Amino acid sequence: MSAETEAATPTSAVGDVVVATDLTKIYGEGDSEVRALDGVSVSFPKGQLAAVMGPSGSGKSTLMHILAGLDRPTGGSVLVDGTELAGLNDQKLTLLRRDKIGFVFQFFNLLPMLTAKENIELPMKIAGAKPDPEWEATLVEATGLGTRLTHKPAELSGGQQQRVAVARALLSKPAVIFGDEPTGNLDSKTSGEVLDLLRRAVDEFDQTVIMVTHDASAAAIADRVLFLRDGKIVRDAGRLSAGEILDTIKTLE
Amino acid sequence: MFGLVLRGLATRKLRSALTAIAILLGVTMISGTLVLTDQIDRAFVQIFQAGNAKIDVVIKQKPPFENVQTSVYLDAAVVDQVRKVDGVKTADPFIQSEGYLIANGESLNSTGGAPSFVFSNLPQDLNPYTPIDGRLPEASGEVAVAKEIADKGKVKVGSKQQLATQDGIKDVTVVGILQYGNGDTSLGGSTTVLAPLADVQQWWALEGKASYIYVKAQDGVSQGELKDRVRAALPQQDLIVQTGREDADEQAGQLNDLIGKIIRYALLAFAGVAILVGAFIIYNTFSITVAQRTREFAMLRTIGASRRQILASVIGEAFLIGLLASVAGIVLGLGLAWGLGKLFGAIGFGLPATGLILSWQTVVVCLAVGIGITVLASIFPALRATRIAPIAALREGATLPVGRFAKFTPAIAVVIGVLGGAGMAYGLISSGSTTGRLTTLAGGAILIFLAVAMLSRYIVRPVVSVLGVPIGAVAGGVGRIASENAARNPARTAVTAAALMIGIGLVVFVTIFVGGIKASFTGAIDSSLKSEITVSARGFGGTIPAAVLPAVQGVEGVQTASPVGGTAVQIGNGGYALIGIDPTTLPEVYAFDWTDGSDALLGTLGTDKALVESTIAEELKVKPGGTVDVLSISGAKATFTVVGTYTDPTILNGIVVDQPALKPLLQSNATGLNTVFVRVADGTSVETVQAGVEEALKQFPTAQVQSNQEQKDQAASGVNTILVIFYALLALSVVISLFGIVNTLVLSIFERTREIGMLRAVGTTRRQLRAMIRWEAVITSIIGGVLGVLLGILFGWAVCKGLESDGLVFVFPTSQILIFLVLSIVAGVLAAILPARRAAKLDVLAALSYE
Repeated sequence: MSAETEAATPTSAVGDVVVATDLTKIYGEGDSEVRALDGVSVSFPKGQLAAVMGPSGSGKSTLMHILAGLDRPTGGSVLVDGTELAGLNDQKLTLLRRDKIGFVFQFFNLLPMLTAKENIELPMKIAGAKPDPEWEATLVEATGLGTRLTHKPAELSGGQQQRVAVARALLSKPAVIFGDEPTGNLDSKTSGEVLDLLRRAVDEFDQTVIMVTHDASAAAIADRVLFLRDGKIVRDAGRLSAGEILDTIKTLE
Repeated sequence: MFGLVLRGLATRKLRSALTAIAILLGVTMISGTLVLTDQIDRAFVQIFQAGNAKIDVVIKQKPPFENVQTSVYLDAAVVDQVRKVDGVKTADPFIQSEGYLIANGESLNSTGGAPSFVFSNLPQDLNPYTPIDGRLPEASGEVAVAKEIADKGKVKVGSKQQLATQDGIKDVTVVGILQYGNGDTSLGGSTTVLAPLADVQQWWALEGKASYIYVKAQDGVSQGELKDRVRAALPQQDLIVQTGREDADEQAGQLNDLIGKIIRYALLAFAGVAILVGAFIIYNTFSITVAQRTREFAMLRTIGASRRQILASVIGEAFLIGLLASVAGIVLGLGLAWGLGKLFGAIGFGLPATGLILSWQTVVVCLAVGIGITVLASIFPALRATRIAPIAALREGATLPVGRFAKFTPAIAVVIGVLGGAGMAYGLISSGSTTGRLTTLAGGAILIFLAVAMLSRYIVRPVVSVLGVPIGAVAGGVGRIASENAARNPARTAVTAAALMIGIGLVVFVTIFVGGIKASFTGAIDSSLKSEITVSARGFGGTIPAAVLPAVQGVEGVQTASPVGGTAVQIGNGGYALIGIDPTTLPEVYAFDWTDGSDALLGTLGTDKALVESTIAEELKVKPGGTVDVLSISGAKATFTVVGTYTDPTILNGIVVDQPALKPLLQSNATGLNTVFVRVADGTSVETVQAGVEEALKQFPTAQVQSNQEQKDQAASGVNTILVIFYALLALSVVISLFGIVNTLVLSIFERTREIGMLRAVGTTRRQLRAMIRWEAVITSIIGGVLGVLLGILFGWAVCKGLESDGLVFVFPTSQILIFLVLSIVAGVLAAILPARRAAKLDVLAALSYE
């Protein structure tokens, strides 16, 4: 463990939603072996907004993919809401993602032929579940999409589309929401709208959000900022300003 | 640029392969058909050449008119004139008739529609048959039989057997087992018995007659030379003199016209349907790939490719796919021909077989059609590719520009549809040649298919919103996505569905048409016949011995036995049936549907008056009071005054005269009897009387006894066989359209890779994803199925109405249509298997990061 610990404890504790222990991910073999993750242990408590940063190839995306059950580690263990991911088959992993995990993607990934409302409800429809109307109304209110619900994605701005995506992730009240560069495809103004929404999700709705980002201003709203380099966590900090974040990144590159 | 085309094909292997299959199957069918029919053609030539191998000159009667299938005979005494000709070594009369051996109670007749021959014996130097056991027949009552039937019936030389002849069953002794030619020529399913000339003449009522006179030349006299000498020696201008070779080629040609060409054109018609379906799929595939490659084309344009080069690259790709598919199709066609040959043999339609023949014509036709259709179908998509502006390379999500004529599409489609409807109407009601009418009919149908395919994009969304409700209820969220996906690109879904529509449409049409034929026959029996039992001719030139009538009349419980006879005649340029009836008994067994006249006319017919079936009367433009001049197949002529008209396109379809008027027009071997309608006395069981009639006619194997129900069943079974063959042939088109669905789905999934990644990430299971794709396929196939059923009903109804005067009845095939709809759903499910698997296998992360 070379990571300095400033805010959160890396060891498992009751109330941790996501717990990773000694994760390794190795691509290739022999000389061409690449260690994308090299013994990462980290826990995320409920109600925290965490940002994961690091230069390209640092392993931050790989970490998120493994934590979210989209990819499998070469070694180590991941617990999501108490469930060990290792050993789950594709079917069980899919159902776990469906029931416990929400996603916000860089490219929004909305279905173009469905309306905003239908896109929000999509994961629950797939699960065959009925959305809680009160909660849905709250989300619609929070996202400010009230008048745009019957519009198709092509008729929405990028910021609106991403807010739809955030609402989609929140609707099933998952244990954790993963964001993969959620502002990566937005300008600074619309980025702000989306980040506000994520912040409110944590503060007002008691959700847990883990996002990978390049954007220092995005990471600046997080309760905790993790820095990765060469597959290892090199700094695990609490709230940082954008300036502090940029300084840290410079030291990493 | 061409290198780029090759690389493109190589990187899009699956797509290219699926596209190729669309055209490959059609080409396979063309190639298979041509190879098979060439084979049949050659086999016929071989058979007749082997038959005439020893014969230098053939003399035969010229039929009084063409296009008759009744045999004509010449005076056997002509042989005396021929024998006097210088250079003639041997000359002998020969009769070809129909009959078969009954060995140990088993009828050794032919199978699958091939003829059962009894030939008069010839001296060995003219005879194509050689005994391999025993000898040729000499004395009366002796026969020799072909090896095939001897084997089948375990017939031994010296055994006493029976021979079914026109004159009833005769006792014969088998004196020889025969081999045809040098033993390596197959005669298909036909059977042969040789009997002495005098016996054949007597048993087939051909005393003094011959089918042919065969002549052998003396050494040193050529066939041509001898032919000229014989011709010069024969003053009769109604005799035809040919060399053995000419006669063999002519007979092979006639048989080929009758069988080979029908098989060829019927199979080619179905191959044409398959090609048409393939064309839709190719058009669709190219449209989709061009749309997907918008940025690639734009990039090529930015780096300096001209529009012409873009056009050439797309068409070049089509050319290559067409070429590969055609070559593969030709090869597979050889396999198909081989398999069909085996299949025909297995179901009793034993075709005479020779080796597989791949002629250069077959290769040229297959390449031309395969490549031509592929290139043609790719032209519109290729033109659209040229309209992509270079700037599109820089835009995210650039889409293909709308075609220049897109806004006129509905109008164009309507014009095409109206033209198609007009073509069909003309084909149905015009009085032109059958070929011409069929061609306009088929052309009209193709145009209507095309118009519906063009317009069906507008019904995709409404259909989906209707289907979406039950599908959403059954499949939930994925059902909803599937519905939306199907409606996402209506043109794409419409064309995919249209390919299936053609197959299903034709299946429904054929069902209705064939059902109409069946219904017309059963309807005619129900409405016209008052008799319960019918005695009719089984083969044998359609005639039964005169002795059948008194035999039937003698059966207990028979109230009326009414004889009907007939002959082929020519009136004007058309061939018709002249039907001889018995005016006193006919009204008891048959109900005329008079258009002009009454039963009272029957007694007044005498020898110079006739009744004419109403459709024929229209064709001949005669009304009561007018006259018809008939030329009989025997060469005799007569004139009848028309006194009445009636409608019956099925049972008495011809010109009805009193029996005495028919007699002088008959050939010598015709008895003037082909049917006896039997009315059973009131209060007597039909079964008992039928059994009695059968017993009384045991001696006459050519007479077939059937109840009305048996007649209907026989007609139905014949018609059903045809229906099954049509279904099998149309199944190919349906299979091709399945590949179309597969292709469209694969391409769409490829387009939606990232969406699929998202769906999987947010918790869609593989099973749900497969279901989603399956539902999309099912929606497409339902659209195709419903459109096909509707068009099939429309075509069926139009054709049945148009041919109403020929007795065709429109019957709505409710149960079959339900089955076809279910089958089209099954088709969708099947088509979804491969695409669904591919989609489910996609790696979530890779799919998510897919651009």
